[in-house]
Amino acid sequence: MSGGGHSDVKNAIWMRALLMAGIILGLGVASYVGLGVVVAGMKETTWDEEADHFHDAEKDWKDAVAAGTIESDDTSAELYIAKEAAHHHEIDAHLSYLTYRVAGLTMLFVSIIFTAFLVISGVLNSAQPDDEHHDDHHGHEEHHGSASPIIFAFGCMLFLIGFPDFADGLHSLMLGSGSDAISDLSVGMIGLTIITIGIANWWREDLPFKGYGEQIATSDPFAGQHIRKAGIWVFLMSEVMVFATFFSSYLRMRTEWCTKWAFDEGTCTLEDGETLAMTASDYLRPGGAAGTGDFWTLLPGAINTFALIISSYTIVLALKVAKSHDYKVPTGFMGKLMPDKKSAIRNYLIITLALGTMFIVLKLVEWSHLIAEGFTVGSQEGSIFYISTGAHGVHVFAGLLIMLYMIFKADTVEWDEDNAQGIEYFGLYWHFVDLAWVVIFPAFYLY
Amino acid sequence: MGEHKLIMGKDIYFWNFIILMFFTLFEVGAVFFEKYPGTNTRVSVYVVWGILIVVGIIKGFGIGAFFMHLWDDPKIYLRVALFPTLFVLLMLWGIGLSNPEGVNGLPGWCTPDWGEQYATER
Repeated sequence: MSGGGHSDVKNAIWMRALLMAGIILGLGVASYVGLGVVVAGMKETTWDEEADHFHDAEKDWKDAVAAGTIESDDTSAELYIAKEAAHHHEIDAHLSYLTYRVAGLTMLFVSIIFTAFLVISGVLNSAQPDDEHHDDHHGHEEHHGSASPIIFAFGCMLFLIGFPDFADGLHSLMLGSGSDAISDLSVGMIGLTIITIGIANWWREDLPFKGYGEQIATSDPFAGQHIRKAGIWVFLMSEVMVFATFFSSYLRMRTEWCTKWAFDEGTCTLEDGETLAMTASDYLRPGGAAGTGDFWTLLPGAINTFALIISSYTIVLALKVAKSHDYKVPTGFMGKLMPDKKSAIRNYLIITLALGTMFIVLKLVEWSHLIAEGFTVGSQEGSIFYISTGAHGVHVFAGLLIMLYMIFKADTVEWDEDNAQGIEYFGLYWHFVDLAWVVIFPAFYLY
Repeated sequence: MGEHKLIMGKDIYFWNFIILMFFTLFEVGAVFFEKYPGTNTRVSVYVVWGILIVVGIIKGFGIGAFFMHLWDDPKIYLRVALFPTLFVLLMLWGIGLSNPEGVNGLPGWCTPDWGEQYATER
């Protein structure tokens, strides 16, 4: 696959990356077929049956009301109770169908992006003439200028221009009615493709860099510090401002909404015809005003919270192993999983990737349930929820793409105490994503 | 860095991870209690706020100080990390001022003491 002898990346490593792409795509297709087609198909049949039961029960109740045998507002009537129970079963069956359908589709979608990312990088690398493979900067051991960030930024711009339609397309896809989804998704997908190409090109350019010889800042306030580290911290602080904007918008709106919580506390009143404002937590939290929340509705968000914390720990473990002088092989199963330093770093990163991917899948499953229950982006409460959690999800997804690169690079670089900055700096980003969730989760899910 | 400090044979990363997991469990578990356990008293929204903010600060500190190494790194990074706090506080101030409650619902010490009348009538 590789261009040849001058490349800093061996053919075997490219082949392993392509093998990994194949495995990822295989897992995605298998998940889609297993969850999104087979299981979702069975769940859809159950949903249809439950819908029929509900319509029958509703017809019986309406007939009884029309015949005058029961009152329409008699909630203790047997037929009314049967109708409501059938309705609940139908909703449960619908949500169960959505769980498997959306999980399968998301796994497929994510695996295609991951595979494209790996394959495009491989093709870009192999398409180069051999003489261009040679790393001119290798002797200097320092980073060089790149147009890739500009390509990446252009892709981001296109994606954001197409985002409103993209959101509509995703909405249709989630509801299983994807007839207009392709045209709605087009501009956003072109943007995403350019983003992928930009990142892949960035990857190709960065591969020869072994990580030694960090450039040191010479002027205040970062004099004596690694320039890349100062850069990532400044970047992260700009990200703090982005999330602070979402969060302050939410707080500003939230203080005016008359939620059940505020109503019960006596901090707001309802005029005639006004209804309580329904936040996401009203749908997800046990005891929420929508009446739909229980242990199971909160579970995806809770699992995601734990997943991000565990993934923060695994990335720290990857850094710890990379910086260690004498790697000690763990005993038992972990020893088989991580027999040497290189595989330990790679496998910790793969675990982090798997946890992050699970986060995305559960997030979209949860969104599909909320949308099906009527909590859509069309309301003020829904808009700020989907924008904030969606922006966070995009950050997680971007992190996963960088993680793919880190996993690939784990095979090409012998990381040690002097060149493990790549993991450290990426770790800072990943911890920030975790930190943002520490604020988002309680604010949107628990309060 | 954190791996060099051992407590009971485990490094600081491990204990930080355990503390983060514990507080997350506490945070999620607390949501299931609408009333104080064993009583009929409803948990007030202010108590919920208090719990979520305190747990959030502890978790944020754990992630920032130990996972992001702000505890050991040169203080310039801590200063960079704290820099946006100024803007976040400004935003919170803005929320207070732009909220209708900000006119007559806030305590007197942080308002010009409008009373009930805040618009000058001609």
